[in-house]
Amino acid sequence: MLSQLDSLKTDALAALAAAQDEAALEAVRVNFLGKKGSVTALSQGMKDVPVDQKKEVGAKLNDVRTAITDGIESKKLALQAALDAKAVEGIDITLPGRPGTGNGALHPLTQIRDLAIRTLRRLGFILAEGPEIETEFHCFDALNTPADHPARNEKDTFYLPDGRLLRTHTSSVQIRTMEAAKSLPIRIIAPGAAYRRDEIDATHLSVFNQLEGLYVSNDVSLADLKGTLEAFFREIFGPNTAVRFRPHFFPFTEPSFEIDVKLEAKGKDARWIEIAGCGIVDPAVFTAVNKSRGDNLFDPETTTGFAFGLGLDRLAMILHSITDIRHLIENDVRFLQQFAA
Amino acid sequence: MQVSLSWLSTHLDLSSYTVPQLSDLLTFAGVEVEGIEERGVTTDKVVVAQIESFVQHPNADKLSVCQVNDGTGIRQIVCGAKNFKAGDKVPLALPGAVLPGGFTIKEGKLRDVASLGMMCSGKELGLGDDHSGLLILDAETTIGTPFNQLVPSDVVFDLEITPNRPDLLSHLGLARELSALTGIPLKGQRDYAKTSTKSKAAADDQVALKATDVCPLYTARLIKGVKVGPSPEWLRRRLESIGLRPINSIVDITNFVMMEMGQSLHCFDLDKLHGGIVVRNASEGEQMLALDGQTYTLLADDLVIADQKRAVAIAGVMGGEETGVTEATTNVLLEAAWFTPSNIRRTSRRLGLSSDSSYRFERGIDPQQVAGGSELATKLILSIAGGTAEDVLHVAGEAPALTGEVTLDEDRARKLLGTPDLTGDEIHAILEKLGLGKKAATKHESRWHIPSYRADLQRPVDLIEEIARVIGLDRVPSKMTAVAVPSDATDRAYDFAMTIRQALVNRGCFEAQTLRLIADAQLPDTLGGGTGVAVKNPLSEDHTTLRPSIIPGLIATAALNIRQGADRLRFFELGRVFLKLPNGNSREEERLAILISGPVSPSSWHARTPQAADIHELMGIITNLPGLSRVSIEPKAVKESPANFLLTSELRAGNRNLGWIAQLHPSRARDISARHPVYVAELLLSALRQGSTGPAKFEELPRFPGMTRDVAMEVPADLPHAKVAAFFASQKEPLFIASEVFDVFTDPTGQKIAKDRKSIAWTLTYRSPEKTLETAEVDAAHQRILAALEKALPATVRR
Repeated sequence: MLSQLDSLKTDALAALAAAQDEAALEAVRVNFLGKKGSVTALSQGMKDVPVDQKKEVGAKLNDVRTAITDGIESKKLALQAALDAKAVEGIDITLPGRPGTGNGALHPLTQIRDLAIRTLRRLGFILAEGPEIETEFHCFDALNTPADHPARNEKDTFYLPDGRLLRTHTSSVQIRTMEAAKSLPIRIIAPGAAYRRDEIDATHLSVFNQLEGLYVSNDVSLADLKGTLEAFFREIFGPNTAVRFRPHFFPFTEPSFEIDVKLEAKGKDARWIEIAGCGIVDPAVFTAVNKSRGDNLFDPETTTGFAFGLGLDRLAMILHSITDIRHLIENDVRFLQQFAA
Repeated sequence: MQVSLSWLSTHLDLSSYTVPQLSDLLTFAGVEVEGIEERGVTTDKVVVAQIESFVQHPNADKLSVCQVNDGTGIRQIVCGAKNFKAGDKVPLALPGAVLPGGFTIKEGKLRDVASLGMMCSGKELGLGDDHSGLLILDAETTIGTPFNQLVPSDVVFDLEITPNRPDLLSHLGLARELSALTGIPLKGQRDYAKTSTKSKAAADDQVALKATDVCPLYTARLIKGVKVGPSPEWLRRRLESIGLRPINSIVDITNFVMMEMGQSLHCFDLDKLHGGIVVRNASEGEQMLALDGQTYTLLADDLVIADQKRAVAIAGVMGGEETGVTEATTNVLLEAAWFTPSNIRRTSRRLGLSSDSSYRFERGIDPQQVAGGSELATKLILSIAGGTAEDVLHVAGEAPALTGEVTLDEDRARKLLGTPDLTGDEIHAILEKLGLGKKAATKHESRWHIPSYRADLQRPVDLIEEIARVIGLDRVPSKMTAVAVPSDATDRAYDFAMTIRQALVNRGCFEAQTLRLIADAQLPDTLGGGTGVAVKNPLSEDHTTLRPSIIPGLIATAALNIRQGADRLRFFELGRVFLKLPNGNSREEERLAILISGPVSPSSWHARTPQAADIHELMGIITNLPGLSRVSIEPKAVKESPANFLLTSELRAGNRNLGWIAQLHPSRARDISARHPVYVAELLLSALRQGSTGPAKFEELPRFPGMTRDVAMEVPADLPHAKVAAFFASQKEPLFIASEVFDVFTDPTGQKIAKDRKSIAWTLTYRSPEKTLETAEVDAAHQRILAALEKALPATVRR
C-alpha cells in the first residue's frame, strides 16, 4: 500500500505538471481526490490495513493528499499567472495614449491676466469693473483731463453718435469705483478692454487690454506704491528682476512715474523695458469724485492713494516673446496650441 | 525735440558728464531720451589728408594701397573704397584715434601690406548714413587740419518732453533744468525776463489788439534796411544740428531764438503789410495762404494776425505766404506775442496744421520772456542782416500772470512721499535750485514764489512732485501694506468665468479673443438677436460696430483656421457684448460663445478619422458646463431662425434664458470653406452663474438597492425626446425615481421600421427609501407607467 501511495503521488504530480488549463487541473483533482478518485479509493482501503501499519500508512496517505492538493493549488496560481502575463503580451506602452477630446488651451492673454490677478489678490486687491461705453466725465473730466486735451478728439478716440465714447483706458473704473464706494479703503484692480483709434499693425490694436489698480486710504504714500509694484513685477518676472521708476506725466496722478523692468532678450544684453504707468492720485480726481457723489468721502486734504495701469497685451508679448501683436487677435490654433498648459 | 549737446554747452559746462550719464540724468528727471546720435569725432587724431597716389593691392582685388599726405608726411594706407582719385582730400584716422562706436584705429597689415591708419566714410565719423565710399572733402581744406575743426563733434538727444513741462522746449530751458539737477552753474546772465529796450504802448493804428482773451500780449518791433541772405555758418550749423533746414537769415534767427530760449516769433515783410497789425478773430470762412503753400479756411473761433486788408498769419501756428520774409525783403516787423494755449491747440488740431511754434504756444510759453525774445532776435538781426531797429518795442496788452505763490505743508509732503527722514533743509534746497523763491518758512510750512516759466506749479502737490522727481524713487523706501478688503460679485464672476474657461479647455476647446469692434458685414452672423452699437467715427469698415454677439468673431476665427488647413475646430470665447436698447441706451453683458466643427476627437492611431461632431456633441459640451450640472436645459426652436443658421434654438432652464444654439447654415459654412458642419452656441454668463450659487446640499445616499426595467416603444419619428422625458418626469408613481433614454433607432430605408416611425428605448429605475423592493411591486408600478405612457403619447410599447 505504501508503494502504491508513492506511485500514486508520482502519477499525480506528473499529471499536474502536464495540465495546461483549469479543466485539465480539475480532471486531475477528480481522478485522484474525487469521490471515485484513486486516492479516495486507497483511503477506503485503510480499514484493511493492519493496526501496526495504520499509523504509517495514514501519515503517508495524508502526505500524498496534501501534496496533490497543494500541487493543484500552486499549479492553479501558476496557470493564472501565465494567463495574466499573456493578457498584456504584445502591448506597446510606447504608443501614444488615447486622446479623448484632446486638450485645448487658455488664450495667452487670459493666462497673463490671471497671473496678474492672482498675484495682486494675494496683495489684498479685489476686482472691479466698469462699462466700456463710457461718458466723457468718467473717461476724461473726472481724471483731470481737460476738454482740449490731445486725446479728446475724434481722431484718437472712438465716439458714439450720442456723445459717449469707448473708454480709452481702464482708468475710468477708478472713477466708477470711487463713485460707488461706501467707505475707505479702496483696493481694487480692474482688468478690461480699452479702445484707441489706431490702425492695426504689428504693435497696435484698436482694442487692447489693460489692468488698472487703485489703492485709496488715508495714509497711502509713494513708498506703498513702490513696494507694491516692485513686489508685483518680481512675482511676474522673477524675484531678482530690477524695477525702476522714471518720473513722467499723467493728468490724473501726481507725482507720476513710468515703470521699467530690466529683462534679457534672447542673445541680447538685458535692457529696460517700459511696462506700466503709475502715480499718486491727483487731488483733482478726488475733488471731481466728491462733486459727482455729492459728499466729501474723498477729502482731498486727507485722502491719498496710488493708481497704476499696464498693458496686458504688451506684457504677454514681452513674457512670451511674441513679435506681432496681431497674433493675439487672430486665434490661429497653431499659435494658441503653444500656450497649452 | 532734438537737443544739441554743443548748443547746451553754451549754457553750462557739461564736460564732466558722459553721454550715458547725461541720458540717465534726463531720464530720471522725467525727460524720456528716445534717441542719442553722436555726430563727428571728438579726437584730434582724425585729420584732413590728401591722397597723392595709389596702386592695386598685390594680394587683394578689392583693395588699393594709397600714399597719403597727412600734413606731416606721407603714410601708406590700405583702403577698400573705390570712389576717390589721386589728389582728393579725405578724413584720415591716425593710429590711436577712437571712432564713434568705440572702434580704435591701429597700425597693421592688410594681406601682408602695411596700413598706417584708416581713411573714413561719413558714416564711420558719425555723419549721416553714407557708407558707400570715402567722405571726399572740399579741395580748399588744409591738409593736416583736425577733422573736428572742420565739422565739430556733437551729440544730439531726441527727447520726449511731457506736456506739463513746456519750459523744457528750448536749450536754455533744458540747461536751467540740468543746472538745477547737477549744481553746475549756468554760464553768463541770460535772464530774458529783463530787457533794455524801452516799451511803448502801441498806437491803435500800429497794433490793434481786438482779442485780448486769446492774445493778452502782442509786441511788434520794426527793423528797417536789412539785407536778407544766407545765415552765417554757425547759425546754419546750430539749426541743422537739431534737424531744422536753414532758409534765410531772418527766418533762421527767429527759429534760433525759439530753440534757444523758447519764445516763438514771426517776421513779416513790412512793405507787404497794408497798414498796422490787427489781432482779431477770423471771419467765418476767411481764407489764408500759409507759408506751407496750403490755403486754409478759418472759422470765427480762430485767431489771426491781420493787416488792414486781410489775415497775414494764423496766430501762433503759421505765417502767411504773401507777407513772409524773402531775400528781397528790406524792412521787417518782428512779432513776439503770448497766445492762449487752448485756442492755439484748437485751431492747430482743426486745421491739421502743427508747427514748432504752435507746439510751444499750445503748451504755454513764459509770458515774462516775450519782450526778451524779441530783443534777442533784434540784436541778432542787426548783427547778421544789418539795418536799424526802432528804439522802442510796441506793446499791446500785457503779460498774463500765470504763476503766484504756493504754500507747502512739509509734513504732508513727507507723508505722501513716504520719506519721514526728508528734512526741511533738503526740501528747501531742492525747490531753490529749481528756481523757486522762498518767501517764508516755519517749522512745518514754507511759502514759495514760482518763476514765470513754471506755470505747471500751481498747487502744493505740484511742489511735492518736484521733490519726488529730484530725490528719485531710490530715496523712497519700499513698503508693503496688505489690506483685507472683502471680495464682491466681480470677484465671484471672475472666478466662475475662469472655471468655465478651464472646463472648456479640458474638453478640448481653444480660447479665442476676437476684437469687440466688428464689420457691418459680420452682423448677420449674430446669434441671439440684438443690435450692436455703431461707432460714429470708425477707422475702417472692418471695425464699425461693437459686437452684439461673439459668434461673428468665432466664425471669422473658424474661417482663418480653415484657411490654414485646420480640420477640427474647437473654439470658445468669453467676453463682453453690446446691445442697443430701444430707448437708445446700451447694455453690456458677458457671454460665452462656443464653435465646434469636425472630428469629435483628435485623429490618432486609435481612430484615424473619428466621426464628425453633430449638434448633440455641442449640446453635451453645454450640459457639462460648470453651473449646469443640476440644471435641466430645454431647447426651444426659435420661430424664425436667422438666415445664417439652421436649428436655432433658445436654451431654457425653467423660465430663465441661458442662450442659444444653432447649426451654421450650410451655405454660410460653404462661404468659409468648412469641411464639416459647424455648430455654435452663445450663452449668458450671468444665467449660467445662477445655476451655481451656494454650496451644494448633501442628500442621504439610498440604503436599499433600486431595480430597473427597460421599455422599448415605437413612436412617430417627429415626436421629440423632450415630450417623452416630460411625460416620465411628470409621473407621480412613488417608487419610480429616474428615467433615461438609451437608444434611438430610425431606418431611413424603411425596412426595419417605417420611415415615419422611430424606436426608442428607456430604462426606468424604481426604488424605495424604506426597504428592498419585491419584484411584484416593481412590475406593478412599471405596468401602471406603461399604461399611462400609451395613453398620454402616441407610443406603442413593445411587450
